[in-house]
Amino acid sequence: MTATVPQGTPPGAPSSARPRGAGPRSIASRLMDNRWAGLVGLAVALLAPFVNATPYALSVMTSAAIFVMLAAGLNIVVGYCGLLDLGYAAFFAVGAYTSGVLSTRFDLPLVATLPAVLVVTVLAGLIIGAPTLRLRSDYLAIVTLGFGEIIRVTANNLDVTGGPSGIYGIPGLTGGPVSMYYVTVLVVAVAVVGAARLGRSRLGRAWRFVREDEDAAEAMGVHTYKIKMAAYVAGAIWGGLAGVLFAAHLSAISPGSFTFLQSALVLMAVVLGGMGSIRGVVVGAVIISVLPELLRDLADYRFLAFGVLLITVMLVRPQGLWPARSREVAQ
Amino acid sequence: MRKLYGTALAAVMASAVLLTAGCGQGLLGGDDAGSGDKKDEPIVLGMLIPQSGSEAAIGPYMSNAAQLAVDEINAKGGVLGRKLELKTADDACDPQTAAAGANKLVTAGIHVSIGGYCSGATLPTLPIFAKTDIPMIIPAANSQELVDQKLKNVFLINGTGSQQAGAAAAWMTKEGATKVALMHDNTSYSKDIALRTQTLLDEPGGPETAILEAVTPKESDYSANITKVLAKKPDYVYWTGYFQEGGLIARQLRQAGYKGKIMVGDGSVSPKLIEIAGAEAATGVYATMTQTPDTLQGAESWIANYKQKFGADPGPYSNQAYDAVRLAAEAVTKAGGTDGQKVISALEGIDGFSMFSGPLKFTPEHTLSTGGFQILVVKDGKFVLQDALQ
Amino acid sequence: MSQLVWNGLFVGSFYALVALGYSMVYGIIKLLNFAHGDLYMLGAFIGFAVLGAAGGVSAAMALPLLLAVLVLTMGVTGLAGVLLERVAYRRLRGAPRLSLLITAVGASFALEYGMRAAAGADPRVYPVRLGGTSVEVLGARITLQQLALVAVAVVLMLGLNLLVTRSREGRAMRAVALDPKAAALMGIDVDAVISRTFFLGSALAGAAGVMAGAHYGKIDFMMGFLIGLKAFTAAVIGGIGNIPGTMLGGLLLGLLESFGTFWLGGEWRDVFAFGVLILFLTVRPTGLLGERVTERV
Repeated sequence: MTATVPQGTPPGAPSSARPRGAGPRSIASRLMDNRWAGLVGLAVALLAPFVNATPYALSVMTSAAIFVMLAAGLNIVVGYCGLLDLGYAAFFAVGAYTSGVLSTRFDLPLVATLPAVLVVTVLAGLIIGAPTLRLRSDYLAIVTLGFGEIIRVTANNLDVTGGPSGIYGIPGLTGGPVSMYYVTVLVVAVAVVGAARLGRSRLGRAWRFVREDEDAAEAMGVHTYKIKMAAYVAGAIWGGLAGVLFAAHLSAISPGSFTFLQSALVLMAVVLGGMGSIRGVVVGAVIISVLPELLRDLADYRFLAFGVLLITVMLVRPQGLWPARSREVAQ
Repeated sequence: MRKLYGTALAAVMASAVLLTAGCGQGLLGGDDAGSGDKKDEPIVLGMLIPQSGSEAAIGPYMSNAAQLAVDEINAKGGVLGRKLELKTADDACDPQTAAAGANKLVTAGIHVSIGGYCSGATLPTLPIFAKTDIPMIIPAANSQELVDQKLKNVFLINGTGSQQAGAAAAWMTKEGATKVALMHDNTSYSKDIALRTQTLLDEPGGPETAILEAVTPKESDYSANITKVLAKKPDYVYWTGYFQEGGLIARQLRQAGYKGKIMVGDGSVSPKLIEIAGAEAATGVYATMTQTPDTLQGAESWIANYKQKFGADPGPYSNQAYDAVRLAAEAVTKAGGTDGQKVISALEGIDGFSMFSGPLKFTPEHTLSTGGFQILVVKDGKFVLQDALQ
Repeated sequence: MSQLVWNGLFVGSFYALVALGYSMVYGIIKLLNFAHGDLYMLGAFIGFAVLGAAGGVSAAMALPLLLAVLVLTMGVTGLAGVLLERVAYRRLRGAPRLSLLITAVGASFALEYGMRAAAGADPRVYPVRLGGTSVEVLGARITLQQLALVAVAVVLMLGLNLLVTRSREGRAMRAVALDPKAAALMGIDVDAVISRTFFLGSALAGAAGVMAGAHYGKIDFMMGFLIGLKAFTAAVIGGIGNIPGTMLGGLLLGLLESFGTFWLGGEWRDVFAFGVLILFLTVRPTGLLGERVTERV
């Protein structure tokens, strides 16, 4: 029998990545598994202003830190629970607008708007999640995309949100850019650790169970709908709080910041870093937010280079830069 | 335990490398950046414009024109014996990118900012420039919110929405229009003009507003909007957005059988509008516009220079960007240096400086005292002056 | 009213053409090809370049010339799609699905800004345009050229449907979509089938690009972004992976937008369209014609 041997890997075949844990481990992978990596990262973030504290550097670093928080939040939804969300910027927008509107209309300090922000983002998570979480993943993707657009267009059309030019004159959280940076880094650090803890909790295990096999999870008595909703609401809270930091950082927000592109960029950070791996996601977020700035001098070729780099990185490392290594048996 | 030491060592080394690489720009490094006002160094003009994203097409029109002005001034010996230098940064029409770009320009030590196109992206840059006393001459963005911030360093050299709306309403009244359809693209600039025009038309006498319709920019098919607009049977349609959509809308209005008049706002005054609409549909389209190179005596040479240098026609806000550079040079000359406060005072004191939009004098709000809006009409494939509205 | 229906159907046929490529590619390798809208843009620019090379033509020759350009552009855009799959997607076929998504977003950036570097950010205007002698049909104003474009779109879609349902090639595609491993074991060259699928999908997007250029006149490097999102939506409404469903989805989305604009105003159009979409999907979560499938991870 002369069998036709198909060229290349057929779709769906297991990836050809080398089996994990086999063979001598490289220095790089030993470093990656190091439990102190997170602390080192935090130390670098805290020390960075001592190296470069120009307004530009501080602004880029603050934005990057906020972006890390967004990615950590989306990682709960996409990485832990496996729900593809293409409209994550909606929660970011809800948080930013809620704090922006309340603080400018009622002359409140931003911190005082936090309870309201929490309530509104949780509500938004429930409202958006309720009809969508029963759908299979591709439909979930399009529905979340739709919600993202609905939120942005609504913010653009309403008077209370300042219409197309948005809200300006939002009070900052602190006095200056340096202290703002440190506050941001600390909040984000707590958020990242919190997300990691959630991922290791009982709830986190349920999320991964749902991600790996929803039917099996259901059969084992996991209430998958509730579990997915919990992931969604957690993601919403992270996104909303990141929105507050964003409003404080920029002092002005407008619908232009909450486009589909923003959602896609956050998702890229999560996948680039390695879905479900909190360290990877942090690295991915820093890269996605800082890379366009580093490429700024290329001016017209900036996004061309960005696109080509993304393709190259994914071709070389499809599982993400720093993939999750679950303590359970890898799939 | 060995692992821990290894990591700690690596961290210490990494921070040491970072520290030495920084060279005094850090928190402990003292502030020695951006304070130079030395006689032999160039005067740096910073320009935030969209170079990527949805408005990317506008960026080159503005930066090219600014570069043209910079080169012309340098060829004549510069300002106070110093050369001018133009630094551009991308704002992507997005507040976050704009804020980073503004900070980058501040860090690069610019003396005057001459950028700002999208109002939404320009707003968050105001406090950044204000904090460092950098005067801002904003060539394009003209939302009322920019003025409402009441910042001393902010000057707008584009006619404001209310001035343009006034010109539009005056012209339509003069033309004897009865039912006006206002169409905008739901951006702050365009919506502002449409709403202000509506307010003026709502006053008794003259034409009335038949419909206020928003379209989604960057699309190709506006037939649904047009069907809705034409159902109200208007005899005048005023489009306040940009030329990309303006050309399509003019064409599709005619295709849908609309026989009335069409007028467009200043963002739509571009040869491209005529090209996109096609000569047939574009002929007879009116426009509210400040004085443009096309309508100014002696501007032909300016257009020729621009074309020769960049191989393309100037576009929207090319002339404002050009004027912004000249105005910055004038103010620095009058101030006798680049000190922010002095340049701001010099700008406030300017009276009768000749620009495309006419002689310049700022109001106490730092906007143009006269909008200088006039009515153009498309004739033989070009925008020509119809009525100066004096 | 009939004008609204016609407007919706006309726009919808563009959505449907672009959505088909999305849907076919998704059906066969489960990839949301975000760069697909940019292939539409690429098609418009290729057509522009070909027309420019052809030089001036009289108005009478416009339609035959455009048809020739259309066919040529479909070929070139199709090859571009094949190349894209070869360079950016093939090696990742066994990788996590979302990695492919990132590559697709990267490819989308690269195509958009590559075109910007090549052709500039300024919009271009097609040298040959379809003018408009209009006729009244049931109270709707329709130009003959619009009818011609819709006819071309319908012919292309019917041809595609025939190809997929009747030909040997189509059977191979369906086999790969159903179970790639089994298809490979049955002697089907999976890679070649996937390449052909990309070719067909991209060619259709390229055709839509040329048609949009010829009808609306204006093309620019970002023109694929919005229609890509819309086509994705249309594909999902219809049942992604299902060809007749996708066509229906495109038309339905066009109608939704048309009526949404009329009832609620242009600024609320997208809210209306997406709102209806969400309601619809909660009632019928598999799209119009999609089958119920249990998800395999």
